Amino acid sequence: MAEMPEPSSRRRWLLHSLQASIAATLAALFYPVVRFLRPREATTSGALEVVAPYTPSQLKPDSEGHWPRPFNFGGKPCLLVLTPDGAKRLATGQNLLDGDVKAFNAICTHLDCTVEYRPEQADIFCNCHNGVYDVNGTNVSGPPPRPLDKYKVTLRKPGKPGDARPGQEEIVVSRTT
Amino acid sequence: MERLGLDGLQALAAKKRVPIHRTTIFYFLGGMALFLFAIQVITGALLSLYYKPSPDQAFESVRAIMTEVDYGWLIRSIHSWSANLLIGVLFLHLLTTYIMRAYRRPREVTWITGVLLLVVFLAFGFSGYLLPWNKLAFSATRVGTAIVGAVPLVGEQLLLLARSGKEVTGDTLARFYSLHVVILPIVTFAILGVHLFLVQKHGMSVPQGVAERCGGEDKVPSMPFVPDFLVRDMVGWYLALGILAVLAALYPWELGEKADPMASTPEGTKPEWYFLFMFQTLKKVPEEVWGIRNAVLVVLFFAFVGLVVVLMPFLDRGAPRGRIRRAFNVLAAAAVIFFIVMTAWGLWE
Repeated sequence: MAEMPEPSSRRRWLLHSLQASIAATLAALFYPVVRFLRPREATTSGALEVVAPYTPSQLKPDSEGHWPRPFNFGGKPCLLVLTPDGAKRLATGQNLLDGDVKAFNAICTHLDCTVEYRPEQADIFCNCHNGVYDVNGTNVSGPPPRPLDKYKVTLRKPGKPGDARPGQEEIVVSRTT
Repeated sequence: MERLGLDGLQALAAKKRVPIHRTTIFYFLGGMALFLFAIQVITGALLSLYYKPSPDQAFESVRAIMTEVDYGWLIRSIHSWSANLLIGVLFLHLLTTYIMRAYRRPREVTWITGVLLLVVFLAFGFSGYLLPWNKLAFSATRVGTAIVGAVPLVGEQLLLLARSGKEVTGDTLARFYSLHVVILPIVTFAILGVHLFLVQKHGMSVPQGVAERCGGEDKVPSMPFVPDFLVRDMVGWYLALGILAVLAALYPWELGEKADPMASTPEGTKPEWYFLFMFQTLKKVPEEVWGIRNAVLVVLFFAFVGLVVVLMPFLDRGAPRGRIRRAFNVLAAAAVIFFIVMTAWGLWE
């Protein structure tokens, strides 16, 4: 049987269709896998506003010196801080002002550790790399590149007007996005 | 090339040839099993990214894979379907190897490692079946491990070992998970390594009848493995991939209802088809034969059959068409018919 010389264009066409089929097969295989790897929709609450589990009078160190731990706000830890001014007002029985309680996303802007409030120094400290923020969440020393994310705080007096003593207000934390 | 020692591999590939005769098609089954195993490894690794092995979360995580994760239904369905096809291909691989009598000297160890691999893959199937933690799986695991408990003398210890306790609990799930994704894969790679090495070392076996007709093994026509046979292999793999995609798309693997340890066993509880012949035998053998519990009898019987299969290269030593071989052929045919009838009966009932 003699070897027939094939027209090169037909051979090239066959080769190209084979290559295209292989490429299409690979695409069909990898596409679902890549989609599968993509994380599914977050299952945490998307709430824009929550009532914190603490009242202002509970914002003080416990017997072991620990500040109340951050609570879950939309899947992220939310740190509440009672400013030194606010603490003074509370001690003298004065009404609190809105700026006396602050709420931050407690995720450090450096490398995602969770920060804590140090009442003695009146600063917010990150244990991972000694990052320091002031009570307004502004980064003052250490590696953090920018301030902590802030949330809006509204103090709401429960019950009838005049019922609640200063420090018994509900702390309503809200975010815009 | 020289740094990686690939020239040795190239020489091996150039040397490997596949004999051409009536039953050349049997040679595709090993490669097919290998391909399906590769699919199991890939889809299994993917599923483990979302699966959570705890009684509180296992069912929910598989449900999330089926409903929330992009293409999760596809990956899981392919994993389940491919597992079943793989077991089927392994059964055929075993049967055709027997028919070709390919376990003859010097390939005894290739046969033994192959039978061991079949046992390992049955264990893969059994352990994987429990992981979605649904009612059927829970019952099947209870029954399956209870049968292990019927083994004389060591049965109770084996049962405790299999279940990690007297009942099927979250510890059983953790144990089966570890077996499925850690222990069995390591064992598989070890045995498979030996199996594949021996296949390369001894080359493809030629059936005695074919060799005689051609006047010697070396006179049997053959084709090079690379690229002739490999390309044919790939056509088979491509077909298998298509079949898997069709099965997964048209018959996505069901999830069932979440297991409830306190609920009554649901009606129609059956194991996977490849265990059905044992299940059906157990159901049909009278409760007591000669004063022995049926489970004990059935377990001992199948253990004996398994032993005969493993030792086949040493039992079948006679001439190609001798009396020993003929007796074995009758038994093998009986075993295949028994398997098919019992499986069909179990499916139908």
